[in-house]
Amino acid sequence: MTNSFPDKEPLLRVDGLSVDYGLKGDPLRAIDGVSFELRTGEAVALVGESGSGKTTTAMAIAGLLSPNARVSGGQVHYRGQRLPIDDDAAMRPHRWSETSVVFQGAMNALNPVHRITKQIAEPCILKLGMTRGEATARAIELLELVGIPADRGVAYPHELSGGMRQRVMIAMALACRPSIIVGDEPTTALDVITQAQILKLLRDLRSQLNLALILITHDLSVVAESCDRVMIMYSGRVVEDGTVAEIFAEPKHPYTKLLIASIPNPANGKKMIRPIPGDPPNLVNRPSGCAFHPRCPSTMSVCTTEVPRLGRFGHGRVACHLHPPLQENMVTVHA
Amino acid sequence: MTENIVKYPPRGRTRAVKRFLGQFLRDRGAQVGLVCLVFFLIVAAMPNMLVGPLQTAINATGDFLAPPSGQHLLGTDEVGRDVLNLIVHGARISLTIALLATVISLVVGSTVGMASGYFGGWVDTWLMRITDFFFVMPSFVLALIITPVVLEVMGRSGYILGFRLSLFVIITVIGMTSWSFVARIVRSQTLSIKERTFIDRARVVGSSNLSIMVRHILPNLVPQIAANGALVVAGAIYIETSLSFLGLGDPLQPSWGTLLSLAQRAGAASAGAWWYLGAPGVCALMVSLSFVLIGNALDDTFNPRRRAIP
Amino acid sequence: MAGQASRNFMSRRLGLALIRAIVTLLIVATLNFILFRVIPGDPANMLLAGARSSVTAEQIEAQRQNWGLDRPLFPDQVVDYLWASLHGDLGYSFKFRGRQVADLIFERLPATIALVGLAQIIAILGGVMLGLYAGWRRGGAIDNIATVSSLALYSTPAFWLAMLLIVTFSTVSGWLPGYGAYSPSASIASVDRLLDYLKHLALPVAAVALGLIGQYVVVARAAMSEVVTEDYMVTARAKGLTHRQMLMHHACRNAMLPVVTLITLNLGYVVAGAITVEAVFAWPGIGGLTVEALNARDYPVLQGIFLLLGASIVAANLLADLAYGILDPRVR
Repeated sequence: MTNSFPDKEPLLRVDGLSVDYGLKGDPLRAIDGVSFELRTGEAVALVGESGSGKTTTAMAIAGLLSPNARVSGGQVHYRGQRLPIDDDAAMRPHRWSETSVVFQGAMNALNPVHRITKQIAEPCILKLGMTRGEATARAIELLELVGIPADRGVAYPHELSGGMRQRVMIAMALACRPSIIVGDEPTTALDVITQAQILKLLRDLRSQLNLALILITHDLSVVAESCDRVMIMYSGRVVEDGTVAEIFAEPKHPYTKLLIASIPNPANGKKMIRPIPGDPPNLVNRPSGCAFHPRCPSTMSVCTTEVPRLGRFGHGRVACHLHPPLQENMVTVHA
Repeated sequence: MTENIVKYPPRGRTRAVKRFLGQFLRDRGAQVGLVCLVFFLIVAAMPNMLVGPLQTAINATGDFLAPPSGQHLLGTDEVGRDVLNLIVHGARISLTIALLATVISLVVGSTVGMASGYFGGWVDTWLMRITDFFFVMPSFVLALIITPVVLEVMGRSGYILGFRLSLFVIITVIGMTSWSFVARIVRSQTLSIKERTFIDRARVVGSSNLSIMVRHILPNLVPQIAANGALVVAGAIYIETSLSFLGLGDPLQPSWGTLLSLAQRAGAASAGAWWYLGAPGVCALMVSLSFVLIGNALDDTFNPRRRAIP
Repeated sequence: MAGQASRNFMSRRLGLALIRAIVTLLIVATLNFILFRVIPGDPANMLLAGARSSVTAEQIEAQRQNWGLDRPLFPDQVVDYLWASLHGDLGYSFKFRGRQVADLIFERLPATIALVGLAQIIAILGGVMLGLYAGWRRGGAIDNIATVSSLALYSTPAFWLAMLLIVTFSTVSGWLPGYGAYSPSASIASVDRLLDYLKHLALPVAAVALGLIGQYVVVARAAMSEVVTEDYMVTARAKGLTHRQMLMHHACRNAMLPVVTLITLNLGYVVAGAITVEAVFAWPGIGGLTVEALNARDYPVLQGIFLLLGASIVAANLLADLAYGILDPRVR
């Protein structure tokens, strides 16, 4: 990776983050030792199937872990400060001011009984200390920024189309001028044209406001046009991390290869999504060694016993026994 | 709600029932409710074995309004009858009325709801208009005006299956006035099931409407009917107790509500005879609460909820 | 544009609700008519039974014509009956000879409204707040206590609570009166009389309020438990709102939708809600009248009460429709 300021602290640093769900006696490990960095203005996609831990990773960063989640290891630093991600009250100042979230399915994510201006203005009043008038003015400004005419501000969420609601959600996320926006499958519920419009809006806003973006998605095809970097997650672990160009041109991990092969591509006659054979990983009973080995087309005997370490490989990182880390000695972690 | 409708293959259905029971029986409310209910059902099943035949003013054994003692565990009433004897026999009357009224209500409600949802069109329009009326007018208010008139017309005497005719009047009136809620729920479920492929398949192989409804739709409605049935029983007990308290019960076969009515007329409250008015009320409360708890537990099991905030 | 459309939609919805209300009321009146005809005996005789002490054959014949009883049952008689009902002409009471049913009912109405109105206010204030809080802190100590006790109260016949209250606070302790609305010995002096009335009101109000509180707690708690699972609550949390702000700005307004509907619908049961409790306390309201009419088989009075109950329930339903439309932008 070409980093012009190698000693400069990144915007966000995640170190060996593990999160468990459920009871203390019988916990379910949702993410297991996730590490990565995010720089100002950078856009990273978290890609994986449901249950891969992508949402848990993003929600942990946003300080939105659910009540039954527990941070069992690792830490998150934001601008060099450690974030108390497992303390609901202590995370409050961070939320929305530093990291905001664009949820999927904005119909349910917006409060049905409040006008949209009010919902956008609310954090401006409560977090930035604006007066009601200032906040409303800002809300209208933000609505225009995302392409909604000011006179629609009096509308209720149910009076808007799906794409409009998603724009409102984005305007709301910008309210407190955050540095990071988490997009939780922000385009999943939309049709293809609206999807493209929303992705373009996100891209424009990002360069305009120098925002970092963490985009959660299970769909690799939306990644190429909206992100700089891709992290592939499988069964709670990062299995590959690299620039969009690298990953698409030369995927290393067999899972990534299968993911890319499954993208429908009308150009070479593939119209149907080809699913990856085998069942998605079971978190309660995670396979030994590399969690992907039961579905991997090139399993070796070492894959069933040793968890591959996420090591540097080229400009990115990969966790696969086919691609042992180049510089360091191989270090194995026993599950 | 609709996601729960699954057409299980026979063995899968058994497994689903087992898993459901396991989950249901873990609910504390369901446990308390079931234990309580089984106790009262046993009492209601054999009152004569437990306390002997129902006492009357003629064969009463105690003093007037005597407080509880070794001989009369729950004291006596104003004519010297043993209160324990009365409430054990009352259990049989009260439970019979409540359960039979519920059966009527569930049968009528399910039939109306299924026919309405399945046939649609004008059948739906008219059935739902009737349902709306019963939905708006509370069962208690309707029963309050209908019961005395029907009693006047039919008379109170005569027995059916060992129960007084007047009890059957109450059963029918409660059952016929409290089905609207069931009908609405069954209708909306039927509407969503009707669209599913296995119904089309049955239609293609030439099943009649009736057989499709009974064999394919009804089994999928069981969860909703069961959860609401439990609540209908609780409502029926409440209504029966209130009606009987207002003097519409039968003094020859006293339910708990009739006993409370007798206690009220005898001035039990101002005489401080807490045992006389306490015992039937506690019984009615416990049975009704059991059904509410079971109904809630059934509903929780069928419609689990997640919690999004700490 | 959108405002215009939604206003049209709103008035259409209210128009339909109004039609439904009128139809329901007509069914109630028709049911009254049918029940009246089913009872054995000549309706003219029954209508006149309470009017005077002795009735001659000519008088009966005159009344038959007057009431239109000599005309065909349908549609003439039905229409006449409905028309008379809507004008408040409900015939004469059997028991209270010579008294118009409508007069009897309106005489008793204030006592019932005072009793149930006060009980409703107490139950709403206490029950709704407790229920919302219990649903918000679901699984907490207050929730567990509130849920168990409100389910118990919900399942308890209110009149039985009334009897227990009399035994405890009147018979045993002698603190409060448990019978009637005034003491026989009460002076005419207005302040004393008011105090005496309020003392008599205490136990009946407590009984009705306890019966209602359970219902409010159960509904408010269920509504709030539903709300806290909604996605917009996650959004509110993500916005960095405190729990208090989430509760006040986002949860309560949404949870109040079904609660307000319940409160409005319960307005319709103001009259019906206390029938059994009034019977226990010999409270001189509609409930007391109902019991007297039931015991005397005073059908005209029973029918008048039924019509009144029907009308108040229908009116409350209409009001609930209106309130929901104002509170929930989605149905406007």
